[in-house]
Amino acid sequence: MAEQKQIAFTIDGQQVTTSAGTLVIEAAKRQGIEVPSFCYYPGLSLQAACRMCLVEVEKMPKLQTACTLVATEGMVVKTGTEQVHKARKDMIEFLLSNHPLDCPVCDKGGECELQDMTFRYGLDKTRFVEEKLHSPEEKWSPLVYYDAPRCILCFRCVRVCDEGMDVKALGVGSRGVLSVILPNEPGELACEECGMCIDICPVGALTSGTYRYQTRPWEMTYVGNPCTHCSNGCKTTLSVRNNEILRANNRDHSGINGEFLCAKGRFGFDFTTHAERIRQPLVRRNGRLEPASWEDALEEVARRLKQIHEAHGPAAIGVIGSNHTTNEENYLLNRFARVTLGTNNLDHHRTADYAGLATALGPRAKDSLATMADVYNAPAVLLIGNDVTQQNPLVAWQIRAGVRHHGLRLYAINGRPSKIHRQAKVAVEVAKGGERVALRWLATEQGQFDAKTTEALVQLKAALEAEKDVVVLFGAEIQGSAIRDLISLSARFGGKTKFMALGDYANSRGASDLGVLPDRLPGYAPLADASERARFGKLWGGEVPSTPGMTARAMMEATVAGKLKALYVVGANPLKTFGMAQPDRLAGLELLVVHDMFLTETAQRADVVLPAASTYEKDGTLTNTAGEVQLTHRGVDAQGPRSDFDLLRILSHQLGMLGLGSPIRLRTPEAAFDEIRQNVAGYDLSHANLLGGGSEVAAASCKAAEPSYEAPAGAVFSSQDYLFTSGTLGRYCSRLTSTNEAKETPWGSSPNIQSWWYR
Amino acid sequence: MQLPAPLEAKFKELAGRYPIKRSALIPMMLYAQDQFGFLGDEILEEIAKRLDLNMIQVEETLAYYSMLRRKPAGRYHIQVCTNISCMLRGGNELYQHVQKRLGIGHKEVAPSGTFSLEEVECIGACTGAPAMQVNYDFYEDLDADKVDAIFEQLQAGKKPKPSSVTAGALHERLPAEVPVISKRFGIPNSNKIDVYRKHDGYRALEKALKEMTPDQIIDEVKKSNLRGRGGAGFPAGMKWSFVPKDTSKPKYILANADESEPGTCKDRPLMEMDPHQLIEGMVIAGRAVAAHQGYIYIRGEYRYIIDIMDAAIAEAYANGYLGKNILGSGFDFELVTHTGAGAYECGEESALMESLEGKRGYPRIRPPFPAVVGLYGCPTVINNAETLSTVPAVILMGGEAYANLGTPKNGGTRLYSISGHVNRPGIYELPLGFPLRRLIEEVAGGVRGGKKLKAVIPGGSSCPLLSADEIDVAMDYDSVAKIGSMLGSGGTVVMDEDTCMVDVARRIMHFYAHESCGWCIPCREGTAWLRKMLDRFHGGGGRAEDIPLIDELAKNMLGRTFCPLGDAAALPTISIVKKWRNEFEDHLAGKCAYNAAEMIAGAH
Repeated sequence: MAEQKQIAFTIDGQQVTTSAGTLVIEAAKRQGIEVPSFCYYPGLSLQAACRMCLVEVEKMPKLQTACTLVATEGMVVKTGTEQVHKARKDMIEFLLSNHPLDCPVCDKGGECELQDMTFRYGLDKTRFVEEKLHSPEEKWSPLVYYDAPRCILCFRCVRVCDEGMDVKALGVGSRGVLSVILPNEPGELACEECGMCIDICPVGALTSGTYRYQTRPWEMTYVGNPCTHCSNGCKTTLSVRNNEILRANNRDHSGINGEFLCAKGRFGFDFTTHAERIRQPLVRRNGRLEPASWEDALEEVARRLKQIHEAHGPAAIGVIGSNHTTNEENYLLNRFARVTLGTNNLDHHRTADYAGLATALGPRAKDSLATMADVYNAPAVLLIGNDVTQQNPLVAWQIRAGVRHHGLRLYAINGRPSKIHRQAKVAVEVAKGGERVALRWLATEQGQFDAKTTEALVQLKAALEAEKDVVVLFGAEIQGSAIRDLISLSARFGGKTKFMALGDYANSRGASDLGVLPDRLPGYAPLADASERARFGKLWGGEVPSTPGMTARAMMEATVAGKLKALYVVGANPLKTFGMAQPDRLAGLELLVVHDMFLTETAQRADVVLPAASTYEKDGTLTNTAGEVQLTHRGVDAQGPRSDFDLLRILSHQLGMLGLGSPIRLRTPEAAFDEIRQNVAGYDLSHANLLGGGSEVAAASCKAAEPSYEAPAGAVFSSQDYLFTSGTLGRYCSRLTSTNEAKETPWGSSPNIQSWWYR
Repeated sequence: MQLPAPLEAKFKELAGRYPIKRSALIPMMLYAQDQFGFLGDEILEEIAKRLDLNMIQVEETLAYYSMLRRKPAGRYHIQVCTNISCMLRGGNELYQHVQKRLGIGHKEVAPSGTFSLEEVECIGACTGAPAMQVNYDFYEDLDADKVDAIFEQLQAGKKPKPSSVTAGALHERLPAEVPVISKRFGIPNSNKIDVYRKHDGYRALEKALKEMTPDQIIDEVKKSNLRGRGGAGFPAGMKWSFVPKDTSKPKYILANADESEPGTCKDRPLMEMDPHQLIEGMVIAGRAVAAHQGYIYIRGEYRYIIDIMDAAIAEAYANGYLGKNILGSGFDFELVTHTGAGAYECGEESALMESLEGKRGYPRIRPPFPAVVGLYGCPTVINNAETLSTVPAVILMGGEAYANLGTPKNGGTRLYSISGHVNRPGIYELPLGFPLRRLIEEVAGGVRGGKKLKAVIPGGSSCPLLSADEIDVAMDYDSVAKIGSMLGSGGTVVMDEDTCMVDVARRIMHFYAHESCGWCIPCREGTAWLRKMLDRFHGGGGRAEDIPLIDELAKNMLGRTFCPLGDAAALPTISIVKKWRNEFEDHLAGKCAYNAAEMIAGAH
């Protein structure tokens, strides 16, 4: 970017130097001078509607709105004069003239900008004796309510829905003092239900269906955690009272998501208290799962694992890990499988080819992985596959913001339509599954397309070759050699290219990075490498076997044939994921152990089910799809369930007593994270920054780029979750699934959904 | 949806009229409403589909404009104006009479479906007050008998003859008048191109295209000291000179004919009797700034004027004054009309552009100014219709000669629409600097019925009011400003000694509260609060502390609102409280000395 010209001006007697074009309100904020405002919202279009930010400027006869006034050389601004104070007081008085002042029963009471401003700048009495306007509150959706009398018409909601979300579900009705915010369907919203309008509302006009009239904000404690649903790692603040999550929102904008949060992060928390939550271990007796004590259940698991291990050897045992469990749990699971049980039959549902990217980049990964901030800042983004609006909502938000704020150029290749294409300079819609072929054409000009697609590709190629710095995003459509094609294509761009593989779940990337893979150790260390096996073997107090294990899909096949006798599943639902829910499956298994929150399809078939805590109920770290690591905290105590960390640790002790492996000595996730930081490539991160609520980029990669790493066919695939689904977990998010929009997939044939989604 | 053929043709034409489809939204809605009586879901969805809009975009635009409705009105929609000029001449009484006769109130539909009633804001018939519209037809100079006759004809299925031209526009020329832009008023068929050409028509354009460079045109307009006739009085030539020369963007000429300032009705006769003059002025303006497209934004209530303008535009195209290669000069200029749909705020230039883009008429943040970023984000000259109508005369007679008709810095002549309690309400063209006293006493024939003068609004209801002892002022921008008011739009409203000034303040505030767009807090809440207070005060519920409060609330709006509408509401109020405070104090006794009790009770 070109060097910004600097200008000097004075504000409240302080000399300020700032870049040309800076708004006075922003310059003041940086000086620690508060200029109050309602309608001004950084990143959204300017309104100058609320008139709270009026300031005095020398040589200007009228007060000026600091939110639209650009600081110029020599300008003298005063924000503390009597005239300015009077103006603020008057604006508050005008605002309150039709405001119901129902603060005692308003959700926003205690965290309301109007309350705060009135407290700080307002009059201590009312001079208004006329009858106020009134209208009843409106339910716009199960998640969004509108209370018109409280609305101060700052239009933040309308703007964030239009500019931020590109949904345009809100408008303004009537005019003058009768103006109201309108939903896009009569009395009803048809939208992404992101709830951004609720967060951004400075007053209690827009309230959340999950939270309204439940509590007062000062009765709650607040825990900022990465969201447990998709792979983007947005920070959501859990508002907790009496060990119950009452609300999730974007309280302080301190996460990598800035002010963004989607429906899942905001409304998808009530699974924690779902009636079907398993709160007690279950053991199959006489063909039925029955409640059991922790002692009995763990004893049963240990005893039968030991028996199978003795009778059939470690290769007869398989372990399937999770996309949701923490890095520390994945690390423990790795040790548990390879050293305690002695098997490399370890895998998880891979939703993006992170291993493919890491092995293709090798040491270059360190400066070649794009963060969420990189997506926003990029001059250009190439997006291949994946419907980011549905599957990676923060990525989509970053792209939209980049386009809006600094003209980011989006190029897309996709086998299906996506709303994000509205933002694109060039969007090439290829045949379903044709992304790979289109990419090959871009790299080699080999391949046949119809005339229209060819024309679009030619246009795309020319545009890309004129770019310098590009962020490349790709979904599960691109894996293995295609990733290498992509990297060689990017060598033709004139600048620095960064990559991001787009996966599905909260710790999809962490599972890969921490080596929940049959052929890779933590940090993508090759299993074939004896020194790496030795290194981890020494660390884990045993020997890492050298034979590569089965993929998750292969393990599931092996259960049918009886080649696998025991399957240990942690936080996964492979029967559903791999499409094997028919009754004859798992027939050859002697033991199926499942850690889960709910009786999933897989858990229903288990011999032992151990109730597990969610990420909102335990400590640890999660790695988002960009490789950004964040701490997750125990926001509430899981009453009954235990963390997977504890379960694996305790079980290792049980097994140790039976003579199988050595007990895991790491007592806490913190201790495990320390071991990870010291031993897993790319995870040597600053703990201090994480403790402060920040994120650190983990560039997990192998020592050298590998020319031919290829995940087995069918190992990497997206689960095609969309805005209102979240794998098995999503089914237990009652609020999330309560909206009209949640009832059909955006990619279905239903014209209904097309109408709400692509409008 | 299958549309009736004429509407389908209209939609097709509208869809192709603008560089962005959405611009057709408001006209489409209004014409569809004319067809169906209201805007139902089906037609709105059809319009949304044709214009690639979401329904919410359609709904929110519709909701802004007071002429557009979601529910059916009667076959005859009766719109009685009670704004200031009409009020002074019995508009309230007339409205009550109509209510009684029809048995319905504001925005109600008679059970038969024949009639619906609406009390409306100024319809631009101030010199023919009191007035009403039946659908789009104007009926002026009314009284109860005339209204009864109109209803009898309507009920008999006949169409009563509407007022032929703006009442008060045609009269014997007075010696004081200097007809420049009104010189063709009264000539039979003056709206026809042949007549126009016979009387100097299009000679200025020929001169501008063949003998002058664009810079010379701007210079001539600068020399003329022609200042904006909409109200703000900004020098037109200077405005034109702000338009960037080096730009790859298209440029636009906009005529602001959204005439809605209460007391003002001069663009209406200008367009009705001399439409070609405006067209000629716009082509010359286009030539001056190298713009090739013009729009005339005409308030929706003036439908018959739009039809006259459209016919004149068609004539101009047919005769080579519009279109490609005008008069062989190589200069191209396209021109169309655009209908508003009921919003005073759209007279504000940036709100007008939003409206022309098919959106709610919210004003825009400035800078950037329209000359640089205007309609469709492109450089735009926007002038009042009267200002642009003056351009041909300026070119023809020369800037200096035109300037010399007026006073220094206030060139030429302008139209005054003088209404209220005078003997000869009407539209008169007078030189700038003409004494207000002579305007009232000589031109308008003095105060009606030999009464004493109490107050004058010099140029539309946004101006601070002048008291009887302030009328020795020259009517030019600077002189009127010097005594604390504004020349404004030339809508002079005269009030006699029997006028209740609290009622005047109340009625003026009703207007601004009705027209506040709702964008900014002080105007939105301030006008609504003041309206409620003034209603209560005039109705006998006033408290002593209300008088300073009314004054203070108005001052709290002043200078702090997003656009000038807040000032427009505040200024007359402040002046009334200041100059006629005694009348407020008199009301504290509980009754109004001027208005009959039933009129106060009947006021909304």
